Amino acid sequence: MWYRASVTDRRRHCGTEAAAPGSAADCSGLPQRACAAVPGAAGASAAPPPALPAMAEAYFPVGPGLGSEENFLSLDDILMSQEKLPGRAESSLPRLAFALGQGAAGGSGDSIPEGSKLEIPMWLAKGLHDSKRRIISVELPKIYKEAWRTVFSADANVVDLHKMGPYYYGFGSQLLNFDNPENPEIAQTILQTFISRFRRIMDSSQNAYNEDTSMLVARLDELERALFRAGQKGLNDFQCWEKGQASQITVSSLVQNYGKRKFTDMDG
Amino acid sequence: MEPAEAEFLAEKELVTIVPSFSMDRVHLIGGDLGPFNPGLPVEVPVWLAVNLKQRQKCRLVPPAWMDVEKLEEIRDQERKEDTFTPMPSPYYMELTKLLLNYASDNIPKADEIRTLVKDTWDTRMAKLRLSADSFVRQQEAHAKLDNLTLMEINTIGTFLTQALDHMYKLRTNLQPAESSQSQDF
Repeated sequence: MWYRASVTDRRRHCGTEAAAPGSAADCSGLPQRACAAVPGAAGASAAPPPALPAMAEAYFPVGPGLGSEENFLSLDDILMSQEKLPGRAESSLPRLAFALGQGAAGGSGDSIPEGSKLEIPMWLAKGLHDSKRRIISVELPKIYKEAWRTVFSADANVVDLHKMGPYYYGFGSQLLNFDNPENPEIAQTILQTFISRFRRIMDSSQNAYNEDTSMLVARLDELERALFRAGQKGLNDFQCWEKGQASQITVSSLVQNYGKRKFTDMDG
Repeated sequence: MEPAEAEFLAEKELVTIVPSFSMDRVHLIGGDLGPFNPGLPVEVPVWLAVNLKQRQKCRLVPPAWMDVEKLEEIRDQERKEDTFTPMPSPYYMELTKLLLNYASDNIPKADEIRTLVKDTWDTRMAKLRLSADSFVRQQEAHAKLDNLTLMEINTIGTFLTQALDHMYKLRTNLQPAESSQSQDF
């Protein structure tokens, strides 16, 4: 196999090192060869080189955990666990009326009586829930209940998952942490919803080039939006390559903002 | 992998040129090139062919499959079959783009060829999406697709692997959670 380093033919990022050892000069009529040939099988087209480290992005987001454990560092999971669950207090909670009660009678310092309804965020519900269930008991939000489950199994494509809590899949996966006899059905419903909506996300993300996509993503929840963006990226990269823009040198996003900073009194 | 990387790999393919200069055989690490004699066709890799063409030292001969009738046949067969038909070259998309961009004067009916290749590409991508959808729908564990080219895999790859990751995680929800928790450091 031949290896060739071409100076102009690869996209360069101004802020990072040049990836290929140089080769420009051309005195004998042929470009200089760089680096050794890679010993390999004859069917070289089947073995792509390892992907270049993606220094083009400054920030690698940690993805959501999905499944019974959340990812501690994932912003998506943090936002998801802020969503509220309906529940009720199993024992009276002294002095917490100001924090948890809505419209509870009396000012701060009062206790929440036993059995009163509460809306608590998921992170708090997970923390306070234990198998003896002394403190809190949780109920399913209505979107995971029987009525909505039949809607999802009928046709999942029409549901506006963004309105129904923008973290349908993540939140639903976390709900399985609480003991509930309906857990297997909930898990199955979430999976089937994802599978039915997959086709539409794939088609819309791989076909909408240079269009306003706000209508397409309006009804998707956050997980599906991330998938949509991945599909768009594949499409945009391909189109950009086909137009020939992939070989143009562009400013890296890492350094694009440098000139815009104002130097304050640093220089004395 | 980016499309530009797939194009880089495609440039190893051989193509015929008719040089207008002469040079002895050149011994490179990967193989030999040459000898070049004016007017005599010789096979070189695409990267060299494009470079020589840009310096106006050769004329490119289009590959045998880059012809309107052949491409029409390929396109029609692709539309008839449900599975993927073998393509004349595993890098047909990249070669089309390179040759038609740099050597369109040497290739007759370049615009029609571009349209035909694009049609074939669209058909194959639609088939790929259809089979990805049925793969997900039936929750299969393995799928085998013959005769796919690298560029097609690239375009849909990130999306598909992410979607399958999510589906896998949602599927592990179906199993009741193990009670033992382990920490990994």
